[in-house]
Amino acid sequence: VTNRREFLETTGAGLVAASAGLAQTGSAGGVPHRPLGKTGLNVSCLGVGGYHLGAAKDLKEAKQIVDTALDAGINFFDNAWDYHEGRSEEWLGEALKGKRDRAVVMTKVCTHGRDKSVAMRMLEESLRRLQTDHLDVWQIHEVIYDNDPELIFRPNGAIEALAQAKKEGKARFVGFTGHKDPSIHLDMLARGFAFDTVQMPLNCFDATFRSFEQRVLPELQRRGIAPLGMKSMGGSGEMVRHGAVTAEEALRYAMSLPVAVTISGMESMGVLQQNLGVARGFQPMAAAEMQKLRERCRFDASDGRWELFKTTKKYDGDLGRQQHDFPTAEELPV
Amino acid sequence: MRAFGRSGPAVSALGFGGHHLGEAEDEQTATRLVGEAIDGGVTFFDNCWEYHRGKSEEWMGKGLQGRRDRVFLMTKVCTHGRDRELGLRMLEQSLRRLGTDHVDLWQIHGVSFDNDPDLFIRPGGAAEALAQAKKQGKTRFVGFSGHKDPSIHLKMLATRFPFDSVQMPLNPFDHHFRSFERQVLPEAARRGMAALGMKSLQGRGDAVKKGAVTAEQALRYAMSLDGVTVTIAGMEKLDVLHQNLKIAQGFQPMTAAEMQKVRDAVKAYAGDGRFELYKTSIKYDNPEARTAHEFPIDLEQAEMKLILGASKNDGTPYPKGGAQ
Repeated sequence: VTNRREFLETTGAGLVAASAGLAQTGSAGGVPHRPLGKTGLNVSCLGVGGYHLGAAKDLKEAKQIVDTALDAGINFFDNAWDYHEGRSEEWLGEALKGKRDRAVVMTKVCTHGRDKSVAMRMLEESLRRLQTDHLDVWQIHEVIYDNDPELIFRPNGAIEALAQAKKEGKARFVGFTGHKDPSIHLDMLARGFAFDTVQMPLNCFDATFRSFEQRVLPELQRRGIAPLGMKSMGGSGEMVRHGAVTAEEALRYAMSLPVAVTISGMESMGVLQQNLGVARGFQPMAAAEMQKLRERCRFDASDGRWELFKTTKKYDGDLGRQQHDFPTAEELPV
Repeated sequence: MRAFGRSGPAVSALGFGGHHLGEAEDEQTATRLVGEAIDGGVTFFDNCWEYHRGKSEEWMGKGLQGRRDRVFLMTKVCTHGRDRELGLRMLEQSLRRLGTDHVDLWQIHGVSFDNDPDLFIRPGGAAEALAQAKKQGKTRFVGFSGHKDPSIHLKMLATRFPFDSVQMPLNPFDHHFRSFERQVLPEAARRGMAALGMKSLQGRGDAVKKGAVTAEQALRYAMSLDGVTVTIAGMEKLDVLHQNLKIAQGFQPMTAAEMQKVRDAVKAYAGDGRFELYKTSIKYDNPEARTAHEFPIDLEQAEMKLILGASKNDGTPYPKGGAQ
């Protein structure tokens, strides 16, 4: 991978984040890169979220976002088969035309308990939309129902699709993601499959409430699995809109954790520029500063009011609800 | 009839749910429902300060006129983490609406947020309101209720507050999923507390409508659980009341084998909580609870519509930290 060589060559300006022990490399003023677990890939510590990319004004703006991100040193691009009925993948595919090798492309498969053949069909669709012959990372999307691990690991379940895609070279690395409860993530990890990546919500409220930071992150570090952070501001910026923290504090906190990348939704150039302001030349918060922020957030964190993805149905997609026979988002909005 | 806790009075095994009473066609139907329930042998009456903005308590009060001494009357207080003073103000309102000078049981309503136990037991919290009401004779017994997670109930018990009762969802789906039956019911029995079951049909009977279980099976299952004192059921229509009375009168508990059969039949639908939305969503967390915890409100909720209809439609129905 070209990225790896490029960035190893620029380590003259590289730095090691002392407080959280983060191994960061990158040029001064650029977005630092970190190792993606044991994969040998290096990824930017800020990643472009695919859901919000599909919410950009039009394809032109989406392309501009991707271009600007690439030029600033961002190489990690998140996506999912079901984001905006494929538009997020299509736009990312268009935007990466001729630049595919500069990006680490991740997308997710949305079987929600259905079998391997459904997953393989989705993989082909994702590849076509993304205009590529392989993904760098392919993850199982929205592992959020208590019985999802059981369904994923049943004979002919989605886990077999992950193994096959990796064997066929259609996905270099595989993982899973979910936003509901650390215990579901731990259940997935306890089933003996060698995941390369695991994605989860990480923010200053999560630190003290049904905490992925406390329960899942150390387990990933122990196993050398790359942690991918998301929902640094609550999913739709709830914690920021209500004045509990600033966007900058929230993003800095999440990026200061020992994660490979923090995936953030950026549906406009304005949001991208704001995030780049934090990510360029990023220096992790000191341990004491992080602790202070956790303490400040502790009371509001304790009922999950700004982490609605854990405490309500608000962030649970319709496709998963359908498979689990839950009311739709229209019938059960939160 | 079953004993309420270790030394309490006998109460009927079927309880009359207050929430659904507020959904009766009109006040006349409501009073008739209450009267027929009493005549049918029901003595346990459930209610709550926030059900239908007071309508449930008012209608029950009307239905109990002249019959108050024939029933064991329970209502609940909706501080949702707020302070003791608010709790005591709500008690006075409840007593006035119910047309009585005391309730038999007063419970903390909707203990469903992870931090509710901490807020309950804090100095100046609702725990002090329960203790004071009991001391003043405004209630004979005290307890709490919630439908979210057994771990929150266990946290309430761990506060060491001397509760007389605990209310929880009990149904065959619950047996397989975040189970109150397996985690809380035995603990209540061990402590000699009265255990009140609710949501035998998972709140709205979705599983019955979809054919996963019959209404009779579900109610009989809940009433057959070892250690349960009362099963509270919503009965907003006379035919539902009659149907439930038929099961309750001369009730014989299911055998262990029968119960297992029901559990097995629902197991495939229990593992993700699809029929127990009170555990997996905030749909059943009333506006009073949501606003106290600053959670988003649901404009489609029956209570919410009432509130919005009765106020200025500004979406902030309750002054922070207080009741009208």
